Formats: sequence, C-alpha cells, structure tokens
Amino acid sequence: MQSCLVSVGYKTVVTDARIARLADLIVDYSLELQPGQVFRIDALDAASPLALAFYRSAIRAGAFAYPGLGLEGTLELLLEHGSEEQIEYIAPHQWDEIEELDAIATIWSESNTRALSRVDASRHANYLAAQRRLHNRRWERIAAGEMRWCGTLFPTNAHAQDAGMSLSSYEDFVYSACHVDTEDAAEHWRLVAASLQSRAQELNSVKELRILGQDTDLRLSVDGRTWISAEGSYNMPDGEVFTSPVENATEGEIRYTFPAIYHGREVEDIRLRFEGGSVVHAEAARGDDYLKTLLEMDKGARILGEVAFGLNYEIDRFTRNILFDEKIGGTMHLALGSAFTQAGGNNTSGLHWDMICDLREDGEVYADGELIWKAGRFLHEPVPGTAAVETAERA
Amino acid sequence: MPDPRHERFAQVLVDYSTSVGEGDLVLIESTPPARPLIAALYRRVIEAGGHPELRIGLDGAAEALLAGGNDEQLAWISPRLRGDAKEANVRIAIEAETNTRSLTATDPARQAIFARSRSHLRDMTMERAAAGELRRVVTAFPTNASAQDAEMSLADYEDFVYRAGFLDEDDPVASWKALGEKLERLAVWLGTKKELRVVTEGTDLTVGVDGRTWIPCDGKENFPDGEVFTGPVENSVEGRVRFSFPAPHAGRLVRDIELRFEGGEVVEAQASEGEDFLREMLAMDDGARRLGEFAFGMNDSVQEFTGHTLFDEKLGGTVHMALGKAYPESGGKNESALHWDLVCDLRGESEVHADGELVYRNGEFLPDLF
Repeated sequence: MQSCLVSVGYKTVVTDARIARLADLIVDYSLELQPGQVFRIDALDAASPLALAFYRSAIRAGAFAYPGLGLEGTLELLLEHGSEEQIEYIAPHQWDEIEELDAIATIWSESNTRALSRVDASRHANYLAAQRRLHNRRWERIAAGEMRWCGTLFPTNAHAQDAGMSLSSYEDFVYSACHVDTEDAAEHWRLVAASLQSRAQELNSVKELRILGQDTDLRLSVDGRTWISAEGSYNMPDGEVFTSPVENATEGEIRYTFPAIYHGREVEDIRLRFEGGSVVHAEAARGDDYLKTLLEMDKGARILGEVAFGLNYEIDRFTRNILFDEKIGGTMHLALGSAFTQAGGNNTSGLHWDMICDLREDGEVYADGELIWKAGRFLHEPVPGTAAVETAERA
Repeated sequence: MPDPRHERFAQVLVDYSTSVGEGDLVLIESTPPARPLIAALYRRVIEAGGHPELRIGLDGAAEALLAGGNDEQLAWISPRLRGDAKEANVRIAIEAETNTRSLTATDPARQAIFARSRSHLRDMTMERAAAGELRRVVTAFPTNASAQDAEMSLADYEDFVYRAGFLDEDDPVASWKALGEKLERLAVWLGTKKELRVVTEGTDLTVGVDGRTWIPCDGKENFPDGEVFTGPVENSVEGRVRFSFPAPHAGRLVRDIELRFEGGEVVEAQASEGEDFLREMLAMDDGARRLGEFAFGMNDSVQEFTGHTLFDEKLGGTVHMALGKAYPESGGKNESALHWDLVCDLRGESEVHADGELVYRNGEFLPDLF
C-alpha cells in the first residue's frame, strides 16, 4: 500500500481568512480609503499574500491602487557595492509620488531580520539620512491631513524566530493582536478607540507621573502635555496612549527588563538615572558601549521624548519587534530622543529609541500622588463610560 | 546553489544589451520568481554606475483588477508608471511567470480597456527608444510555468533558455555580434525588395515592404534575439495565413489562428480555441486588424516551439507577423493598442518569394543571396 506520507512543497498555499480581514480592516478602518483615492502598498516580496489582499481590498473600495514591491537582499547589495552617490540617490518620480498619494500601507515582513547586521554602519546611516528627506515630506503631508499611512506586519518564519515561536503560533499571535481572528475587527477597534480616547483625556489633567517597579522609581512631568490615543490608524496592531514628557523634569531611576533594540542590535538590562530631565548615568548588562554611543548622538538623545502605556492585552509577550512590544498590555515604554510635537513635546534628536518596562508583576504608577495603575492595569476604567470594551466583546 | 549562468546573463544584459553607464536610471521589471537574476542584475547595474530600481509585479494583482475593478480603475495609470515612462534611461524587463494562463477567465473586453489605457505609455516608450533616450530589453527567466508550456522539465528548459541566449558559450557577446553582422547584411538586402510572398500549408500571403526599413535584432531589445523585422505597408497585405504555432497573449492561449487579409485588413478570422478572444483583440481599435510587423526568425539555437513568443518568434525557420502597433523605426505607421506576434512555421514544405524570385525554401534563405 502506498504510504500516505506526502512531502509538502517549499510553501503551502492555504488561504488564511485572517489575511483578507487584516487588509480589509486597514483599508476600511485605519486608512478609511475612499473611491478615487491613490493608494500604494509598500512591501517586500515575503509579504506578497498580504500585499495582494490589500490590493483586492482597495479595488473593492474603489481606490486606485498599486504595489511598491521590493525584493529582499537588494538593499544589502546597494550598501555593499554602491558609491556614496548611488546610496543617496532618490529617483525624481519618488518626490512626485509622495505629492500624489492619498494613502500608503507599509507591510513589514522579512525572511531574515538580521540581514543588515554586517553592513557598514556609516553607509547605512547615509542611506537612511537620504531616505529621511522623503519620509519627512510624507509626514508633513500626514500631519496636514493630506495623506494617511498605516504600518503592519506579515508574519514570516524570521519574525517567528525572533519571537521564539513556531510560524503558526506566531501567526495566531499576530492576528489576534490585530483582532482579525474575529469576524468584526473594525467594531473591536472602534470600541478600543473610544476607550483609549477617554483614557487620554483623563491623563491630560495629570501633572506628574511616578513609576515604581523593580529597581525603578522615576518621576516625570506631563504637565500641559497632550496624551494621544493610538487606536489603529497608524499601526496595526495598536493600543497605547502616549505623550511627550516635560523635557527638564525627569528625576530618578529606571530599569528596563526587556532588551532594548535599536536598528537590529539588542542592549540588555538597561538602567538609567535621570537628573533634571537628562540621563546622568547609564549602564547595560550587554551592549553597554552601544548604549553609551547612542546617548552621545546629540544633546536630545539623553532626554525622554515619549512616555506611554501599552494597553493591548492580546499582546502578552515580548517578541523582539517594536510594533508589538511597545503595545504589550501592562507595560510602559519611555523613548529617549525625539518628541512628538502634536503632544506638546519639544525635544529634538536623531534618536528615538523605545525602551520597554514590564510593570505586569509588581509595577505601580501614581498620578499626582494617587495610585492609578497596579500590576499592569489601570485601577478603573476611563470615564466617561467606555468601560464596555471587554464586556461588549464577550456579548 | 547559485547558477553561474545568472551572472553571465546579468553581465550580457547590462554591459552588452543596454550598455548601462554612470548615472543611468535603470528599471528592473520582473516578478519574484526571477530573484536570482534580479539580484545579479542589481549588482551589475551598481557596478556599472547606474541607479537600479526594482519594479516587482504582484502576482494576482492583474487578475484582481480585471475581475473587480470598475472601468475607471482599469484605465487608471499610477504615478509610478507615468514617471517610469518619462524618466527611465534603461528598462530591463524579465518575464518570469508562475502561471501563463492566469487570465484565461477574465473578460477580454476588460482586457482591451486595460490595454488601450496603457497604449500611450507604450508609444512614449517606443518613441523614446527610437530617439535614443531609452535602451530597453525584454528577456525571460526560466520558471516551471514556462517549462510546462514547453513540455520540458525545469532543468531542460533552463538549458534551452541559456542556449538560446548563447549563455552556454564562453563569449556570448562575440556570438551575438557575429549573428548581428549576418542579420545586418540580410536587412540591407531585404531593404531592396518591394514585395514578399509567403507560401506554405494553409498560407498564401503577399506583404508589401516597399520603402520600409528592415531592422536586425542582435540581443539589444529582446534577449534572446535573432530576427530581422520591418513594418509592412499598411494597405498592402493580401491573402491567407495560417499560424501553426499556438499564440499566447495577455495570459491566454489561442490555437490555430487563420486570417484572411484584403487591402491590408483582416476580413476573416478564425481559431480552433480562443476565437472569442481573437475577435475581441481584432476589435480593439482600427489598427488591430492590420499588420504592424513582419519578420524572419533567425536564431538557430532555438529549434523547438515552447509556447513563449519571445523564443518562438526567433526560431530559425519561421516568420512572424504582429497585428497592431508598428515600430516607428521600421517606417511602419500602423497605430493600435495591440501588438500581438503570431508565428508561422516554415520549416516544412514552404517558400518565400521576393519580388517574384524564390529566396527562401523550407525554413532557410537560399545560399549566397546576402
């Protein structure tokens, strides 16, 4: 009898309903794509299934869509073999495109998240600096309300490997964080948005936050700053509220339990001491030199540009990807470097380095002396009455 | 395992076919299955001082657009396509299909809308190429889908593809130059002729070529290559032709096409398979019923029909003619959104007469003509 052990090809092609739902969610909810809008889907080829789902969604929405597909491996070739001029080159049409686009979706998806580990750092920096001019123009148009953008991730083995998971478990993780494992993801995110907006509003009246945790006692001022709710418009998954702290007010110590990753390099067990808003002492168990180099980047690199609460409780573990890690329910993250002007922040820096502090075990946060957060949760639901997120979902 | 032929392939395309130089904006247009060749090209372009930009097609997008898009969406041109048509100095297009029949179920009328909306970009490309502002080459990377059409294993098909481009030789460029010289002489000689008559089974066709320019093709615009072509006099074509090879176009296949021409125009058309599609293409616009190209396939390293026009039309011992748009550099004037090459095998009992004189028999020009 023929054995029924069949070898599977290099790739199983199974239609995963969650891929189409993720595309629909971003097209309809995050970007609110309208008929006649010009929409580009930026991705590497590893993300082709999701890119195609985006394309289909956009056609259904009546938009004018086109893919901007890259191929993995070419950036390394450019950085390794290109002249300075080639590395910094931006084709003229790229400027025209930025002016014409109404929306961009970026899909992060790699088959090797460490492919750039050995490229020359200064050549890479030159490349990024050249690209930044294009990015800045994009963000100007986004800030002016002329354009929308949303970033998401398509799960691959490489990302799963970083997370220490199998691909199928990682897919479950990603899609449940985006809530596309349920039929009506958009409704979920609308409820999340309402809840986060109320939370942000409430936090707007707070003057000082004090964070207590293991080896952590940090005070920062958020007086007069605006809290912003991240509710799935710019990132999917999402789920945080953030602001930029007052630049010269941070005092005390913090210890980051999760590794902090910057451009693919990990720094472990960072401890920082702040005085008058600036880092005065820094050490790390691993990557101490790199930490100190980055702190020296410019004056603003020693000052906090962001403080945020991670509130997506579907994200319950550290996976070495900032898109997810900064939203882990029960964590806070504080970024060294550039601040958000829309939050009232003034700090400028070439750096924006999110470091995540796990407060799920024994963390406490006080707002103007009152305990508001314990063991990874706010003590009460935000007013006015949007207590309903979880309740509504169960119903 | 890297195939050393990819590097040689890239080298010939960048150095010989398109002569990439300092500061050229070079588009590499393909799909993910061609990754090894794309990577080799990307590197070679950098080494040559150019700026490589990738244009990677998304498998399934055309089908999704044709199935679900409204007319406006079908006809829409992205800012990137527009920019590319204006800005690129070099375009290297690599066909690398995962399914050569992916558009079989789409509505041919919608395909026609799609094609018409893009014809001005293609015209701009052709004009810029004719004016020397753009070098462009079309090539193919062997995939299982193409191997399947050719009824070969992938390994055999790879050998076929690389042999057709002389890439199995130590100095492919030398071979292309040698073939180029031969084709140049043929083109000059054909330029003295007024009328060609092709006779083979099911075919007796007269084509006027008076005053038109014959172009030798030596691996610079198609790769592999090996043909001489011209644009026939628009109202001169008379008679019948039967295309013995199946004709793929726009993700479909049409078999056993037979056409009858009067005064340069198709007045009768039939096919054993895909006849509706054939009629839809002929109805695309006025120029779609006229020939825009007539050519002799002259690459003797291509000896097998593979169902892929890029190769089939170069097959030594064939002629091909294209319905639709003429290449301006040949002196052809026909305008159309269509350009569909149809190949006719002359390796069996067949003859070609030039101005009444027998010049070609059973797939070969008679000796000592040029």
